[in-house]
Amino acid sequence: MKLIDLARRAAVLALLATGLAGARPAAVPSYLFYVASESDDVVTLVRFTPGQGLVAEKVIPVGWLPAEIEAPHGVFVDPDGSTWYLTLGHGFPFGHLVKYATGADTVLGMTELGLFPATVSVPKSGGVAFAVNSDFHGDMKPSTVSVIDLETMTELDKVETCTMPHGSRFGPDGMTHYSACMMDDQVVAISLGTLAVSRRLDLVTGGPPATNGHAGHGAERQPCSPTWVAPHPDGRRAYVTCNKGHEVVELDLESWSVLRRFPAPKAPYNADVSPDGKRLLVTQKASAELSVFDLESGERIAVIPSTRTVTHGVIASPDNRFAFVTVEGVRGEPGTVEAIDLGTMKRVSTLDVGKQAGGIAFWKMEGR
Amino acid sequence: MTVWKGIVLGGATLALVASAAAAQTPARIEVSPASLKLQVGDTAQLSAKAYDESGKAIDAPVMFFSSSRRRLDVDRQTGQAVALRGGSYTVRVFSLTARGVQATVEVEVAYPPLTRIDLAPAGDRFFVGAAVRHTAKAYDAVDDYRRDASIRWTTDNPSIASVNRFGVLEAHRPGSVTLSATAEGVTAKHTYRVVANPIASVKLTASADSGRTGDVFHFSAEALDANGRRVADAPITYTLVANPEDTVVAQIPAAEIDQQGRFVAGKAGSYTVLAVAPGRTAQQTVTISNRLVSQQIDFVGQAAVRDVHTSDLWIWEGPDGRDYAVTGTHSAQGATYFWDVTDPSSPVLTDSLVVDARTTNDVKVSEDGRIAVISREGASNRRNGIVILDVSNPRAVKVLSRYDDELTGGVHNLFVYKQHVYAVNNGRRFDVINIEDPTKPHRVARFELDTPGHGIHDIWIVDGVAYTSNWGDGVVVIDVGNGKWGGSPSNPVEVTRFRDVGGATHAAFPYRSPTGKFYIFMGDEIGRQVPGGGENRPQAMSGYIHIVDFTDPEHPEEVARYEVPEAGSHNMWIENDVLYAAFYNGGMRVVDISGELKGNLFYQNREIARYMAYDPQGKVANAPFTWGGQPHKGNLFFAEYNSGLWAAKLKPRLVLTP
Repeated sequence: MKLIDLARRAAVLALLATGLAGARPAAVPSYLFYVASESDDVVTLVRFTPGQGLVAEKVIPVGWLPAEIEAPHGVFVDPDGSTWYLTLGHGFPFGHLVKYATGADTVLGMTELGLFPATVSVPKSGGVAFAVNSDFHGDMKPSTVSVIDLETMTELDKVETCTMPHGSRFGPDGMTHYSACMMDDQVVAISLGTLAVSRRLDLVTGGPPATNGHAGHGAERQPCSPTWVAPHPDGRRAYVTCNKGHEVVELDLESWSVLRRFPAPKAPYNADVSPDGKRLLVTQKASAELSVFDLESGERIAVIPSTRTVTHGVIASPDNRFAFVTVEGVRGEPGTVEAIDLGTMKRVSTLDVGKQAGGIAFWKMEGR
Repeated sequence: MTVWKGIVLGGATLALVASAAAAQTPARIEVSPASLKLQVGDTAQLSAKAYDESGKAIDAPVMFFSSSRRRLDVDRQTGQAVALRGGSYTVRVFSLTARGVQATVEVEVAYPPLTRIDLAPAGDRFFVGAAVRHTAKAYDAVDDYRRDASIRWTTDNPSIASVNRFGVLEAHRPGSVTLSATAEGVTAKHTYRVVANPIASVKLTASADSGRTGDVFHFSAEALDANGRRVADAPITYTLVANPEDTVVAQIPAAEIDQQGRFVAGKAGSYTVLAVAPGRTAQQTVTISNRLVSQQIDFVGQAAVRDVHTSDLWIWEGPDGRDYAVTGTHSAQGATYFWDVTDPSSPVLTDSLVVDARTTNDVKVSEDGRIAVISREGASNRRNGIVILDVSNPRAVKVLSRYDDELTGGVHNLFVYKQHVYAVNNGRRFDVINIEDPTKPHRVARFELDTPGHGIHDIWIVDGVAYTSNWGDGVVVIDVGNGKWGGSPSNPVEVTRFRDVGGATHAAFPYRSPTGKFYIFMGDEIGRQVPGGGENRPQAMSGYIHIVDFTDPEHPEEVARYEVPEAGSHNMWIENDVLYAAFYNGGMRVVDISGELKGNLFYQNREIARYMAYDPQGKVANAPFTWGGQPHKGNLFFAEYNSGLWAAKLKPRLVLTP
């Protein structure tokens, strides 16, 4: 066979291969998630496609008064993917929880909560949402977690927990809600079954709080000032960021005790555990970084600097491949969303969104 | 109290609160009983059973939910129901572990018997020929106002006085008659002494026989007997017949009169007011001409800010005798701009300042023009507070101090008065900060309402009295230095408070009218959804200005409004009987508020001018969204959300001469 024939055959085979590939292209997944911009009263639906980067699919104006900042803060997609929930921190004076249809992004209902509601979380069984009333700027007294019936968008109850509750999530079984108390150095568990506080833990001492109320930041103790609690997918552990203690506390949820403490310099803020349970992602507000911890060794294995200051929220993609990070920026800077490849530990894309990007919630993957 | 005992708990009945470990996934829930009939005061136990897909009873946590807890209280965990008020209720029982799995129970709580009916009005005499409507409110044994009660009206002697189904009692001849309102066996009675009608005539006087649209006339009617003596208890009703010059059909009412005889017209024409007493009527006709106050308003200049939104403004004469303006910015980079507006046709940017904030919502300047205070919201460290500036030379503005101690929630509005800053703090209260030494500000007092869910949005001070705007709590008047009520900056003393009918009080401006009336103008702020609207598109607002007669602070009365149908109110300023009202998408409105006020000023030809600030290069193009205005030395300055600072001037009114 002449060389020329071989070349032709190779070309034909290559064309056939290309044609086949065109008929059934290799699936390129993309990732969709919502980002709340607290100082612009917008939520952005963001799409990330590897190789193509981050794009804003839609910018959703939220709130009702164009000349008042209503401060969208916490965002959460119902585990069934049908709806998403948004807290509006500023009201008259109380904030609100607003229910939206995912995709259509239309308002389905709303209800009034307490003073500056921040994070919101829905258990896997749905039905109710828990939103912490952070009351960031109020007196140093215990605040509450609102329990909202999501069908009627009615606040069922306010469960008093601690002073300035902030980061909160349900455990993977959906039966226990955990929230971090910024000014009490506590993590508080609420039973979904009783809507009552079931346990408290002093994150500084690792034991029960001296009182059930405000522990305070005494001069003799280095405060933790916990800002987030991220349950592990195994349901046995949770990770609490000590924003002023500059560490992450690993909790044993069964024995309700401290297992390990990971140094996390520069004000760890929000956190998420990758779905495979291997990595802990922690934003560091003061240094504008994302830290990645290996949960087996407890070692910080990567630090990825943000492109702006005030790194805020983080989520891991369901396939453990990427982290998506929100960065607030300051003054007139836009907020920024960053996509981090957790294989290379490199930032692979950035997208500017509304000012003070904070709350972030994963919706779905497409094209898998 | 009785206990409902009809529930038999089966062996598989749930422990209603289960541990997470024991939780299983239910496919359906059954509640027993399926329905309930209770009496007020009864306690009943609802029980729930959960079943899995195979139909097997399982252990799963549920929650009971009554949407009317103040009428039917149901313990969310135990299902124990307590009937508090009569009515029909649905109790929802839903799974805490399975999405959408729920059951409902209909609960009927029998209304308790009525115990009383309140009847109004009452009195002693009733005149032959009089017809007066009465009302009756029924209350049951738990003092529940029973709107469902069907009231039956009767009199014991219809030949003396009869009553119709609306409670209108009409007297026919002298005698004693008892009016009864009956419902469910409970009767309220009132006996009148029907007497011969002593009224021989009605005397009707008017405060004037002619006037302009918007002028308030006072009609006063007296019923007189044959001897010319006043019949004090004669019922008199005012009504009117309108003959407006404008005969377009389906108009708004051309005029109105209330039962205190206060009349105002919105259309030119003649109006006949009738005072109706039993058997007698008097009438008086007045003529109304158009108010004719409109003036041309011309563009003078613009200090354009097009890259970000502009918030509030303040105009002042500086120590050097020149005129200056300061404008804040909204949802931006924390900038504040200073302008020389001595020549308002050519404003000159003299300086700017960027602070750690995203919104500098409010900007105010001290009486001597040397100190400015700006509010901060959206600081990167969330500490917000205020920044105190030396603006004695607006070409070199200096930061004197920052103050954020317990002001971290963001200062949205503030007022500078006699070396104190009154800072609205976190939307909950205002703090009084002494700036006698502006480099060392310190808090001297704090004022916060005690009502549930209170909030505050704005504060304005005149003559040592603060007028705070508090959303649903309306206006609260506080002595912060007037002294009449013992108040001082370090000891604010509440004088009075008033809630308007809107419940959205955002800004208030007090005004002592040359008429002797003291009014407070209370502006709403209410959002409005614009179809297709959104970020960087024209927006619109709702709400209006409520005008409250505060002349007698013990008895304030909401007497008038200024409502622009297509737009909503924002900030305002009043000077020399003129209201300068920013109406967001309705632009800048200049309104004549001379004389007594009543009715909706919008329909009374009181609008002197309006200015719509269209800027094709604005942050949102051609989208007026007027924030607030301030008259200064014959010019009207106003801040536009999408395009910066504007200056306009009213031209003298042109009068046609024959």
